[in-house]
Formats: sequence, C-alpha cells, structure tokens
Amino acid sequence: MAVQARDRIRARANGEFTTVRILLAHPMHTGRGMDENEQLVPAEYIQDIRCWRNKQEMLAVKCGTATARNPYFAFQLKGGEPGDIITVRWVDNLGAKGTVETTVT
Amino acid sequence: MKQGHNKQRRKVVKQVISAATLALVASSGLLIPQRLLAHWPREAFNAKTIEDALLALVGEAEQLNDDSIRFTVGSPPSYAVNGASVPVELETSLENIERVIILVEKNPQPLAMLIEPTEYMVMPFKSMIKIAEDSDVMAVVRANGQLYTTSRSVRIDVGGCA
Repeated sequence: MAVQARDRIRARANGEFTTVRILLAHPMHTGRGMDENEQLVPAEYIQDIRCWRNKQEMLAVKCGTATARNPYFAFQLKGGEPGDIITVRWVDNLGAKGTVETTVT
Repeated sequence: MKQGHNKQRRKVVKQVISAATLALVASSGLLIPQRLLAHWPREAFNAKTIEDALLALVGEAEQLNDDSIRFTVGSPPSYAVNGASVPVELETSLENIERVIILVEKNPQPLAMLIEPTEYMVMPFKSMIKIAEDSDVMAVVRANGQLYTTSRSVRIDVGGCA
C-alpha cells in the first residue's frame, strides 16, 4: 500500500510552456473493494484537486471513485519561468487535505 | 442613565445569541463539509449511466462528434492489462475549453473525472483511471458553448473494480 508515500510534484519550464507532473499518495478506495478479510473497505477517495501558480488558480480537477490509486496528473501551463511557485491542494471525501508545492525549474 | 444601561444589555444579549447559534452550526459539522464540497457535483458522480451523468453536468445539449480531440486510453492504445490503472491522454486543438469530462461506460459510476481548466492550461492532459471491464471510454469537451465528444473502446484483462 501507498500509505507511507509522499505527494510528489515536478514542474519544468521550457520557454513556451511549463510542464507539471503530480503524483499524489492516496489509496483511493472506491467503497466496493474488499480487504484481505473479505470486508468492504469504506470509500476514501480524492474529490477535488486544485492547482495554483503564484497564487493564481490554473486548474481544478474533480475526481470520482474511478481515478486510479495514487492519482497521477500531467499537464502544461502557458508561459511560466523558473522560480514560479506551483501549489496543489487536494481534499478527499472524508475531509482529509493535502498540500504540495514546488518551484519551477 | 437607565436607558443606556438597557441598550448595553440588549447588545450583549444579541451577541451571545448569535455566537451561540454560530457555535451550534459549526459544531454540528454542517458548515465545514458543505463549504469544502460545495463544488463537487455529487449527483453527477453518483449517476449510474453516462446519460444521467451528462444530464446532471451539462443538461440537455447538442453533441458534436469531433476529430480534433486526440484521446488515447490504455497503453498500447485501446488495451490495458490492469484495469485499476489505465493511462488516459487527451489532446485537442480546441480553444476556450470550459470543461473536460471523462466517462467510462461500464463502470458502476461512469463519471471518472471532471477537469475545469482555466485559460492558462494547455493540453495534453494525462492521468490514470480505473476501468471495471471492456468498455467504451468517452471524452466530452465543452468549448465555446458547444459539446465535442469522442469515444474509444478499450479492452481490459483484469478489471479495476472501479
């Protein structure tokens, strides 16, 4: 399981675009899966992911249960230069939250 | 003198009442989750069919089949060994994208992902989704007030228990 893992984020500017890659550490239980004792695992999944660049919102992703475990996202932002701060925040259905931040290289 | 005293007392009573109400609402746990999840379209995510999910999200709208969306599911395309983690990649030449919706037809809850980009985001967008069994995967892009859809069928070896 990915319980010990950390959220990870990389952002790289290549002139015209900034490429952002995010890997969140989250089990993403759908509420339909069984554990080793044949018990239903209660639903626990990320619902809302938001991304900011220098405090300006860039992107919001809403997830249902069908997002894979340890959600991965990659996308590009217009412009940007090394030194920009990219922040990602997520909230899951139980109210747990996480923030991960990086500096564009 | 007496009037002033009364006014003061009224103010204090009022403040106590409003503070008590606020504390009650906050402690009942209604305030926080409501605010956090206000923008999560519960109805659409809990829908059991693609039609219901789309209806809840975008209402009745004309859908155009569009080739300007490049949509790849699985790796190699349209095949995935493990349904619990199927890569999807979406690229389009459309401008002014308001929403991108990814739906998996045979999943118990078809709506997989709802992306709300701003003007600063550029495709391609990549992510991983779960797919329960062999199914059609649909991408709906809302841009310039129109819906553009495209669909890919994908073969799954081991279901992702989505």
